Amino acid sequence: MLQVLFNGLVTGAILAPGAIGFTLMFGILRFPNFAIGAYITIGAFAILFFDQVAGWHIALAMLGGIAVTALVVWLTDLVVFRPMRQFPPISLLVVSIALSLILENVIRFIAGNDVRGFDIPLTRPVKLSGLMFTSEQLYLIALAVAAMFAMHAILKFTKLGKAMRATADNFTLAEVRGIDTDKVIAATWLIGGALAGLAGFLAGLDLVIEPLIGWHLTIPVFAAAILGGIGSPYGAMAGAVLVGLAEEMTALWFDPAYKVGVGFVIIAVLLLFRPQGLFGQPEIKK
Amino acid sequence: MEVKGIVSGYGRGDIVKGVDLAVGQGEIVTVIGPNGAGKSTMIKTVAGVVPARSGSIAVAGKEISGLSASEVARRGVAYVPQEANIFRSLTVRENLEMGAWVLPEKQAERLEMVYGFFPVLRERRDRRAGNLSGGQRQMVALGMALMVDPTALLLDEPSAGLSPKLVEEMFEIIARVNQAGVAVLMVEQNATQALKMSDHGYVLAGGQVKFSERADVLLNHTEVAELYLGVQG
Repeated sequence: MLQVLFNGLVTGAILAPGAIGFTLMFGILRFPNFAIGAYITIGAFAILFFDQVAGWHIALAMLGGIAVTALVVWLTDLVVFRPMRQFPPISLLVVSIALSLILENVIRFIAGNDVRGFDIPLTRPVKLSGLMFTSEQLYLIALAVAAMFAMHAILKFTKLGKAMRATADNFTLAEVRGIDTDKVIAATWLIGGALAGLAGFLAGLDLVIEPLIGWHLTIPVFAAAILGGIGSPYGAMAGAVLVGLAEEMTALWFDPAYKVGVGFVIIAVLLLFRPQGLFGQPEIKK
Repeated sequence: MEVKGIVSGYGRGDIVKGVDLAVGQGEIVTVIGPNGAGKSTMIKTVAGVVPARSGSIAVAGKEISGLSASEVARRGVAYVPQEANIFRSLTVRENLEMGAWVLPEKQAERLEMVYGFFPVLRERRDRRAGNLSGGQRQMVALGMALMVDPTALLLDEPSAGLSPKLVEEMFEIIARVNQAGVAVLMVEQNATQALKMSDHGYVLAGGQVKFSERADVLLNHTEVAELYLGVQG
């Protein structure tokens, strides 16, 4: 049982940065960006490139890959979403699905379909009072927690972070009060992209790196964001851990192959009974 | 502020059909009129939230029509919407800080001034604005607008949804803000009370100005009183 909880925590840590990035973008841009999975894949491959082709140290490769992902994600806004700002969310959702297919195949074209991994020394799993874990898993959790604290600090203490919360809360009022919403939107894409890049690294540590690595995470990331109340970064953090735990606990009773269905079930149940998520407040409409 | 012949609306039709009005320095000007007269659209047009289709809006001789809402705010014209006029999930203090976005160097000074107007906001500065009472939420909305050191305030029904006691308080606050040298253009349902504190009044109906008089003249105007102030003739 302890092992299951720990595995759930690891899965949650992989999902959390992506879920936060997804929910931040939703909060400000008001559409579910399906390309989040492709962004995560870009992160994994960009880091893989710096790690193996450029031969950088893995920590440096991670930072480089995160920066590249942030830039690419911001570019997808400039090229794809910005010209479509006035379109309804459902159109943008469809466009983001198309974008994710394009990005995935560009990666396939450049990097091929081979299954790879980061160039890090293999370590033996450690056993501690019945709990088995690898040092990578510990790094992974530490990085995810660090990202959450960093995000909290940005949102709570920086002027830009407060403006992001204000803009997500009430876009029209943000404009009326003179907040530079273009700058806020650009920052949202860059930060969301950086989080996706980090998610790519975390996923690459735990899973094998292939062009569908992010695709497999899309549904659980959606589920985590919705579970936490879409648009709420803190909710997304909690949602990620809960989805991670739910996935691992399911594996106790069912074949692990059904794990991928957990996200779907969570989304369906929530949308039926509590669309504002566990921690979200219902929107008041007049 | 000089508004000349503005036309605006949503979709195909025009709601505001050529409105002229003027707000002198340090004046309070109230626009009254029946529901659907285009009062709210008119003030949104001046604020740059709804684009003017034609006409001109000048502040201190400078044209502001065609500017976005945030550029209008930078010109010292602060608009307070009727609804959704605060950031509910932010604290009171964060709301006020957001108000100072275009004037960061004066933030500390303005914050003190706003707390001076509304001492209760200083007490509640770390509370989520959405959890405050209706009257206090209006104070946050007005306080946020005052953070930019505006020359003019545009208020869309500042007393809407407030209890009679709070309405009085709200008008007192507006009068105090005005005494500090800020011109006020407001749209109001509480027509009699609003006109009593105003210099000038307009009656808007069907998207056009029906009457434009000194406020005290308007208050004693038989036709206006019967039609728009709810006074029995």
